[in-house]
Amino acid sequence: MKHRALFPTCPDGEFFGRVAEIDSILRRAASEERPAPSILLFGGRWTGKTEILRRVFHNLFWGQARVVPVYYQFKGYGTVEDFSEDYLKEVLKQYLAFRMREPKFVRDGISLDKIEKLLVDNDMYDLADIAALHREARKAGDASAALKNAMHAPAAITRLSGIPVYMVLDDIDLAEYQGPSGRSAAVARELISSLSSSDFSFVAAASSKRVLEGNVFGSVEAMELTGLDEELSASMMTDLCRQYNVESDTEMLRLAAFRLDGNPMYLKSLVWAAAKSGLKLKTLKDFADLYTQELFDGNIGFALRAAMGLKSINDLRVLHACSVAAAPVSDEELMERFRFSPVEMREILGSLSEAGLVEVNLGSVKWSGDSTVKDFVYFIYETRVKARSADEVRTYLAREVLKQGFDFKGSRINVRLSSEASEIVKSFNNQKVLKVLFKNQAFLSKFKNGSYKVSADRREDEELELPQVVGCFDTARLESGEAGPPILVAHGFQNGRYDSGSEVVWIVTVKDSLSPVNLGDVDNFLRRSQILRENFRAARVVRWMVGRDGFTSEAQKKMEAEGVHSSDAVQLKIIKEGLADSDGAARMRAAEKIVPVKEFEVVIPSATKAELVAARAVEEIGTEMGFDDVAIGQIKAALVEACINGFEHSRNKAAKVFLRFVSSVDRLTIYVQNGGVDFDRPGAPAISEPSEGLPRKRGWGFELMRGLMDEVKMEKVRGGAKIVLVKYLVKKGDSRNGQQEI
Amino acid sequence: MVNRKYRNFKELDGAVVIYPDNYINDIEGEKLEDLCAAYLERGFSKIVIDFSETDLVNSIGVSILIGIIEKVRHCKGNIAFSGLKRVNYDIFSIVGLTKHIQIYDTEEDAVNGNVPHEMVTT
Repeated sequence: MKHRALFPTCPDGEFFGRVAEIDSILRRAASEERPAPSILLFGGRWTGKTEILRRVFHNLFWGQARVVPVYYQFKGYGTVEDFSEDYLKEVLKQYLAFRMREPKFVRDGISLDKIEKLLVDNDMYDLADIAALHREARKAGDASAALKNAMHAPAAITRLSGIPVYMVLDDIDLAEYQGPSGRSAAVARELISSLSSSDFSFVAAASSKRVLEGNVFGSVEAMELTGLDEELSASMMTDLCRQYNVESDTEMLRLAAFRLDGNPMYLKSLVWAAAKSGLKLKTLKDFADLYTQELFDGNIGFALRAAMGLKSINDLRVLHACSVAAAPVSDEELMERFRFSPVEMREILGSLSEAGLVEVNLGSVKWSGDSTVKDFVYFIYETRVKARSADEVRTYLAREVLKQGFDFKGSRINVRLSSEASEIVKSFNNQKVLKVLFKNQAFLSKFKNGSYKVSADRREDEELELPQVVGCFDTARLESGEAGPPILVAHGFQNGRYDSGSEVVWIVTVKDSLSPVNLGDVDNFLRRSQILRENFRAARVVRWMVGRDGFTSEAQKKMEAEGVHSSDAVQLKIIKEGLADSDGAARMRAAEKIVPVKEFEVVIPSATKAELVAARAVEEIGTEMGFDDVAIGQIKAALVEACINGFEHSRNKAAKVFLRFVSSVDRLTIYVQNGGVDFDRPGAPAISEPSEGLPRKRGWGFELMRGLMDEVKMEKVRGGAKIVLVKYLVKKGDSRNGQQEI
Repeated sequence: MVNRKYRNFKELDGAVVIYPDNYINDIEGEKLEDLCAAYLERGFSKIVIDFSETDLVNSIGVSILIGIIEKVRHCKGNIAFSGLKRVNYDIFSIVGLTKHIQIYDTEEDAVNGNVPHEMVTT
């Protein structure tokens, strides 16, 4: 069997996400439309452009026969003639490799003479003429003819062979910098001319969209490549930490992923550094230590130093000024501040722009680096220009990273809790729920070890009747000068009666930090709600405080005395689950049935029988929840189908399936996400109908899921698709799932 | 005639009982398909697949089983299932396979052609 490798790529186990981008490029490249739509893939440094292009090339080489793929990476050359020969060589040799199914030709360096001979030996005389033309041009010292011949070779091959060439062009913006100054323009001009001819299609990668500006490429779709999204980058880090035996914490990895802008190179470097130095990634402090170490002395710092290529201390001054400016800076302002001549300024901006660090547009200079580059610029600026010691700068940076990280954690919780509280209030619709869910002190005294102790008089079963909410809004407009978190106001009617006597207003606030609600918070809320209630002529006002980390005892006492409802995050989740549907609310009327929502996450790689790992996990969770063997068998079978479907539609060997199990009072909900392209659509058409009235052979996955679970939904999410499987502990009017109906 | 029992099949007089693995996916399904094809070639007219050891059959496994049934019928042979666990019965039922094949509680019933039973072990 042939060695199928073509251009080097990173190991599959270290390649994450980007499935949607690869799939999108492949679909366009091999579409029936002629010429196929071209694409410009643009994005910052180390966002994975080269990896994507090489994987696209690999897929096109081995997976289709509609186009001939040719990969070319622009880099520096001595002369235009050398560049022309290199480009032509790659085009011809990869054409031969594809036609002869010989990957060795792609991997190996072969001289143009040898390629010409191979073309002749394989009766491709017209293509051999293209190589001969180059030889003649070089012999005559005609660099322009050699360049033209090379750049238009893909179009010529398409015309002569009848099979379209599809160019995969990496670092296309470097075409401007081929060869000695003066000649570079010729390369760029000829490249643009060949790409705009529409004789062949291409996908090109560049650091910005700039290459499209002012050029007529026909219809070129611009595809931006940003960092990996938060979920995917956190999963990537989790996986890498597992591979390299680095102890980690999921929330901390999410923070790291956010702080590093989801940049795959930074994320990998951080985990490698942790593995190398035997450090953990469990706390904010671990992250701050590792990050600053990596930035100053590690792989990230080394890579940034090489990539930025700062030529002088003045480059650094300008770069620093742009990185800290809140808005784009004018070149005149920079010239004045640093006493540069126009020539000096132009040179500096040219070099910074070439490195992708700033964008210059009509005299306006805009910082285009990411936050890690900004930190790195800060470090070298402070040490070289301000002559501070590395330790001093490192201490300052670590402090900032810690503070930002803490804010980040707080803001995430705030966003989640505020929106959850808002959703819950909006779903109030005359339901009855246990009062204890709105009384934090009483709840905590009884709720221990995941279950609720009920007293003999069953006072815990006391219910609170919720209003029917007709609308809600936050008070930002009413309290423009007020400090503290926004307050949510919900208007509704009690007891299903729409009269003034039944009108009610709920005033709700959510504590937005990691510390518990204290007396000061309660006083602030009481004061503000007192002022707010003047705006509403409702007969009754209900006040409710939600605290992520609960309440101090003084705060609880005061709220109890003032009749303010109080709930922490656990109570909020129970309320949310209970209100999700009428059956859930009915089941929540017995205090001993209160069970906290538990969440588990599992990531499985695309490997033989990997779906059984998911099945094993759900078996444990289901048993713990009280499902019987039959129900567990059904859940396992449905989950196996969802996982297989996820892998099948990822179109990538290294694809992973992300699973989230949410166990709540009455149901198990499983979210299956493939981080890539769509799953099979439910009710896919039958592919083959066997004879003798037997069922069709394929396309049963979704029907099995639907038949085995109580609910199956498919949701489109950013970067992929998600299947949601739900199994109730007790199905309405049925006890087959393992428990008697309450 | 001497009955011979191997790890994953048992040859009886004119019939063979096959014991698939605990999880029938594409790989296991193909092994099963090869085994059935080999017995059909050797002239065995009755094939019993006993699923007592099989915890789960996935949709790819199901499609292969449908192919096996098709092939056996094409060769004028007879095929039956036995020892199905509840979840596998549910799966075959959703797919509609239970209407097309005889399902027995035990392999003995299947081999002897006793009256097929509707159920299954849990």
